[in-house]
Amino acid sequence: MAEQTTPRVFTSELHDEHNAALLGVTLGVTFTVCFVTGVLSHLIQDPPSWFQWPSRPAGLYRVTQGVHVATGLASIPLLLAKLWVVFPKLFAWPPFRSVAHLVERLAIFPLVAGGVFELFSGLADTHLWYPWPFAFRSAHYWVAWITIGALVVHLGAKWATTRSSLFDPSAPAVESSASASAFDRRTFLLTIAAAAGAVTIFTVGQTVAPLRKLALLAARRPDTGPQGFPVNRTAATAGVVGAARSPDYRLRVEGKVRRSLAFTRDELRALPQHEATLPIACVEGWSTSQRWRGVRVRDLIERAGAASEAEVRVHSLQRRRLYRFSDLNRWQAHDPDTLLALEVNGEALDIDHGYPLRLIGPNRPGVQQTKWVTRIVVK
Amino acid sequence: MSGTAYGRAYWIALPLGGAIMTFGLIGLVGDKGISTSLDVGAWLVAADVAHDFVLAPIACLIGAVAARLLPRWCRAPVQAALLVTGVLLIVVFPALRGYGHDQVPDNPSVQPLDYTTSTLTVLAVVWTGAAAWAAVRLASAGPGRRRPPTRARPDGLPTSRR
Repeated sequence: MAEQTTPRVFTSELHDEHNAALLGVTLGVTFTVCFVTGVLSHLIQDPPSWFQWPSRPAGLYRVTQGVHVATGLASIPLLLAKLWVVFPKLFAWPPFRSVAHLVERLAIFPLVAGGVFELFSGLADTHLWYPWPFAFRSAHYWVAWITIGALVVHLGAKWATTRSSLFDPSAPAVESSASASAFDRRTFLLTIAAAAGAVTIFTVGQTVAPLRKLALLAARRPDTGPQGFPVNRTAATAGVVGAARSPDYRLRVEGKVRRSLAFTRDELRALPQHEATLPIACVEGWSTSQRWRGVRVRDLIERAGAASEAEVRVHSLQRRRLYRFSDLNRWQAHDPDTLLALEVNGEALDIDHGYPLRLIGPNRPGVQQTKWVTRIVVK
Repeated sequence: MSGTAYGRAYWIALPLGGAIMTFGLIGLVGDKGISTSLDVGAWLVAADVAHDFVLAPIACLIGAVAARLLPRWCRAPVQAALLVTGVLLIVVFPALRGYGHDQVPDNPSVQPLDYTTSTLTVLAVVWTGAAAWAAVRLASAGPGRRRPPTRARPDGLPTSRR
């Protein structure tokens, strides 16, 4: 079988197996972290019957999703560097040496296309920018499976090369020839690390509060918005301003209960109030902890005579949209900190934060902290 | 590329990875959030083409031009700073263009900063670092230039090539 040759126009010594292996292993780790945390987030949002996400620890989702977004952003320079290192191989001649090699090269297409698509669409999602005609979460999720499958094939194909390149002392020397001025291997790899570090430092403040002043390149600041924290969907966009401010507003508790209940906002304020400091942890990667005050979901459904293991669906005034309701499994529904909040930090909720009433519970994605709550249905 | 034969790892990984890809493809085709999976397919092809035939050639070109034009003492710092700059611009470009905020104009908490200023601030930090690095190189390399080429610099590298 003939050896392949790559075009001579690529003269840099950095296009070599050692850099490809090192960056490949690093990307293997970061893509796996993104995949695991991403699948977890998907399961939490769309739980199949075998999956029950606990309500504790309260900040767990904030961490897993923060890691998902930060790792994805840091992967941008890693992926671009890796693709640059192996770029000459795209033009290798002959294009393949055997059927097995052809299959290996064909599997690189879903790997590269999927990797670039995942990082681009994830970046765009952190900005709430959706320049495509499909649902972001559906595409991002399924393409992640395709990308990881292609990564498994690629890992298998490169296993021996990677091992000998990184660990075998008898392998051909990988030190680049010493030239005092060149952009040598060490400089190249340190620069990639610096780029990944810079991306992280200037964006991670969207979820790590002490670094928020450094979040100069992030789409969100956890300290910016009505009442000092961000909003994803405003009341005007959701079309709920009239209904939320209406004197006819009621919270109804119904479904599998002994008696259905209805409360005005003042009647809710007269019920026993409970306080909890809980994060809003958005799937887009920002998060912020606030002090909430309101009525326990547990107290309300007990008052209506629901079973002690009951699960609950919480409905918003929003008519359209996927997230007009959210579900509380039995752990979440009965957690003492799962509240229907009337206040945040001692003030009535801003209408963009869900006035008159919003759901806030421990260890839940932000999209499931339903705003403008008007109905609780016990299942 | 070393070794033309594939080891056992490949023959295990191929069906396993193929099964995972098939699972993703079937899920993609059947998902209600995606009216036609051709849309996603088109975006995947576009992602690949955009990288392979736009982004990568531009990066190679900038790198090659920098390598030829820049004097030795500042070549590595400038190339490193260019690389970091490019990556940071990719990360911030939706905010620079207002993509995202334009879809929710009534929500000031999306892209709340003046991103031109914040990007220039960050790039000033990057290029200041690069300038400091170049200055250190210039200072340490300067006297060595006129010495005989046989003498090694303190870092063990030869003083002159070419």
